Amino acid sequence: MDEDGLLEEAYGLSQDQRAELLLGALVCVVVALLVAMIAFVFHEAWPSFAHNGVGWFGPGGSVDGQIQAIFTSGELNQVAVWTFHAWPLIWSTILITAAAVAIAFVGSLFVAVFMVEFAPDRLKRVLEPVVRLLASVPSVIYGLLGVLVIVPFIGDHLITEHEKASVTPVIQLSGSSVLAAVLILTVMIAPIMIAVFADGLRAVPRGWLEGSLALGINRWRTFWKVGVRTARPVLVAGTVLATARALGEAVMLSMVSGGVGFSPNPADGLIFLFEPSRPLAATIIANTEQLSSPPMKHTLYAIAAVLLFSAAMLSLIGWAAKQPMKRYGVIA
Amino acid sequence: MLRPMGAVMKGTTLRSKTRAFVIMAAVIPVLALPAAAAASTLFGSGSSAEQPILNVLFRGYNRQHHKIRFNFLPDGGNTGVKDVQAGRRLFAVNTRPPLPSDSRTTQFKLFLDGLCVAVNPSNRLSNLPIPQAKDIFTGVDTNWGQVGGSNLTTTIDPVGRNSSAGSYTFFQSAVLGGATQSSNVHPVTSDGLVATAVASDKNAIGYVGLAHSGKSSGVRTVKLNGVGCNAHNIKNESYPLFRFIWGVVPSTHASVQVEKFFDWVRTSKQAGQIISRAGAVPAFNK
Amino acid sequence: MSALGASLSPSQSPPGRRTGASPSWRLSDRIGLGFAWLLGLLFCAIAASIVLYFLIEGIQYLRPSLLVTNPTASVNESQTGGFLDPLLGTVIVALMAMAVAIPTGIGIAVWLSEFGRPSALARVTESCIEMLAGTPSVVLALFGTILFEAPALGFLSQTSRGIVLGQSFFAASAMLSLVGLPMVVATVREGLQVIPSHVREASYAVGKTKIATTRRVLLPAARPSLITGSMLGLGRVIGDTAVVLLLLGGTLTFSNANSTPVLGTLRGTGDTLTGYIYYNAPTGDGNQPSKAYAAAFVLMLIVLALNLGVDFALRRSRARLWN
Repeated sequence: MDEDGLLEEAYGLSQDQRAELLLGALVCVVVALLVAMIAFVFHEAWPSFAHNGVGWFGPGGSVDGQIQAIFTSGELNQVAVWTFHAWPLIWSTILITAAAVAIAFVGSLFVAVFMVEFAPDRLKRVLEPVVRLLASVPSVIYGLLGVLVIVPFIGDHLITEHEKASVTPVIQLSGSSVLAAVLILTVMIAPIMIAVFADGLRAVPRGWLEGSLALGINRWRTFWKVGVRTARPVLVAGTVLATARALGEAVMLSMVSGGVGFSPNPADGLIFLFEPSRPLAATIIANTEQLSSPPMKHTLYAIAAVLLFSAAMLSLIGWAAKQPMKRYGVIA
Repeated sequence: MLRPMGAVMKGTTLRSKTRAFVIMAAVIPVLALPAAAAASTLFGSGSSAEQPILNVLFRGYNRQHHKIRFNFLPDGGNTGVKDVQAGRRLFAVNTRPPLPSDSRTTQFKLFLDGLCVAVNPSNRLSNLPIPQAKDIFTGVDTNWGQVGGSNLTTTIDPVGRNSSAGSYTFFQSAVLGGATQSSNVHPVTSDGLVATAVASDKNAIGYVGLAHSGKSSGVRTVKLNGVGCNAHNIKNESYPLFRFIWGVVPSTHASVQVEKFFDWVRTSKQAGQIISRAGAVPAFNK
Repeated sequence: MSALGASLSPSQSPPGRRTGASPSWRLSDRIGLGFAWLLGLLFCAIAASIVLYFLIEGIQYLRPSLLVTNPTASVNESQTGGFLDPLLGTVIVALMAMAVAIPTGIGIAVWLSEFGRPSALARVTESCIEMLAGTPSVVLALFGTILFEAPALGFLSQTSRGIVLGQSFFAASAMLSLVGLPMVVATVREGLQVIPSHVREASYAVGKTKIATTRRVLLPAARPSLITGSMLGLGRVIGDTAVVLLLLGGTLTFSNANSTPVLGTLRGTGDTLTGYIYYNAPTGDGNQPSKAYAAAFVLMLIVLALNLGVDFALRRSRARLWN
């Protein structure tokens, strides 16, 4: 009966102050746990960075060979080998993530606009659960679809014998490629973007849209120029969330991206789409059974540290992107 | 009217809250106390590739000794040995022979397994000499026309395992002579994925364990150096790529029940039947 | 009904809308609308094909007995049982993980959006949550392994010869709640922030405190966002493989820690449907792809049913809200 706080002021802390302290404590506990995790990862990662310096991020030799050398040195209790140049893995991550996010952003924006405004009611009622369904499909199922359907299709129908012969024995053009990885990753992160964009588009003040319509602007331009523009902070938030998801995707990418530490080269023309590679998260998961070897453990944690750092940078970029949007009263 | 009602309700709430708390505080520790264990659980870890056959062996042993249950964590053979050394697990199962770094452990040969080389059924290759297998997987031979006995003239698509797999290390030492698998070999993370890749690509060749080499996996095995990959040739060790599956226990304070279980796996008739029907090869069983 | 038409009651609805016949539609607008239609239908087609693929692959092997029998280890595929325990395992971890993630996520989102002082802490919190969103779940699983092997947390899993093992439903659910948390926080925060400030100001004007406003006005208005975020988070929790592989122990059936009814199971090891699918599909060593596809189909049915149920509840609450 007393939840309005009117009576409480006599008892010291007001209800608001108590709530703020309680929620603040909850936030502090969660942040402390996350900071502990981050500190743990960076602490375990430090030896690998210390031994390699800035060259850790650069190119140099076969990254797969280096991984095996690191593992064997620890496993056989020999002198620890630390040499590791992760550029092929980093480049693969950048390539696959950027391509998937770019394609997914455009596609998701159109689908979200369609879903919120232009779809007939029955189609709308179908689309909403479908979006959430696709967001809940496990990554192993996407991976299986990739391995059983997409990869053989690309291998049999899109790659020619001539192309394969031209690059062997350096790499093998099977269907597990940049193309397969980008396609499936796009389908995987699109539902997240669509769901978040649709929520934001629905929250655009109706008066603004009606005012634009009243001036004679057609529905498409109204929604696009007024609605989508107002929802820009939500677009940024959804993109950041989806990009973070794409960075952290390990299981599906380990199955369809090719599994070799190779840097796909755009200068190769069409073959570039079919070249295999392996992003950072997939490298961690392909080597979890090698954690028993200390230098390997530190190297894997170093890869994890790079991923955590990228996600933090992503968060900062998202915040910076939202700042200019605050000018016109759009709540960001 | 509001204030007195609020005070009464507050008092009642506080009292019933305290009562609820006291009841919970009394009940939860009772729930959490471990009841007198009727069964004992033996914790082990090790090779994930052997998990299916180990699960059947655990069940077979449990049928005879109802009080013994097993809990097996598939975190990899190397990690399993480290778990035993650190005392975290009572036993481990490994697919590679003991190394000098496996100190403070005792290891037993349990049963045999083999690594088969498989091609797509439309490939007419029937025999592959080991030096040529090495050439294919190190990138020296890149076209099926260079391999005698095959009817194809297209590029070879070799499929292998990733570098953390026991099968890869075994293949590397037994066939490649220690050389690294060439970068044109497509590394996948399980035997099932090798079989899937070989079954769906007519130019593919790969290596899988005996359990994935049957017709139901969609592949056809080839003879290595003229010897076929089957249980008989593996048991008499005429097939080149045979290996033992090892059981690992700590050297000191090993669990007697684990050692009894390993004895049962090695020597008993029921275990032998389970092993051969599961796709491996019994070594010492009667 | 679109946002534009919602403000009019049925008796006052405007004359039927014209979707393109008007001369104010330029070519680029028509192309844009056509593109939106195309992508919307393409999206439905992709979803349908995914469900259909596993329907075709799985339904030939799906029998009702699979849903009620436990997996048993056997050399014959016909005797290996069904996936009852993995199914229950999925339900258990999903419930436990979301039971932690949803309230925590709401609390953090409310704090970030309504309070948020000191601003340095707010910035750090935002960055940490988004960093969590970008962490591969295998890293969370590795951290969880170290965390739950600590002796102080031994009551959450089993102990053998004095050493804490660290794999249990508690451990897996705890890490999975971290996996689902960022989605809840991000969407609820966006949902709270798009509420115009005049709503808050009106509430303060009648004397409500900030926390009462949040509880009674803002959170109900943000309920659609909360449900979206929860479903996204739940999707990630159900679909996770790495945490389940490393922190749940991978036993075929529930392996209870002791014989107490609920706590024994939660402290013991087990498996989830996703882990079962991963193990039996070509990705794992179980070599029973037919059962894996049947399980995949069942999982998608469950997710679909859950989504339809939530959608139904959401539409009813939205109807009440607009009226």
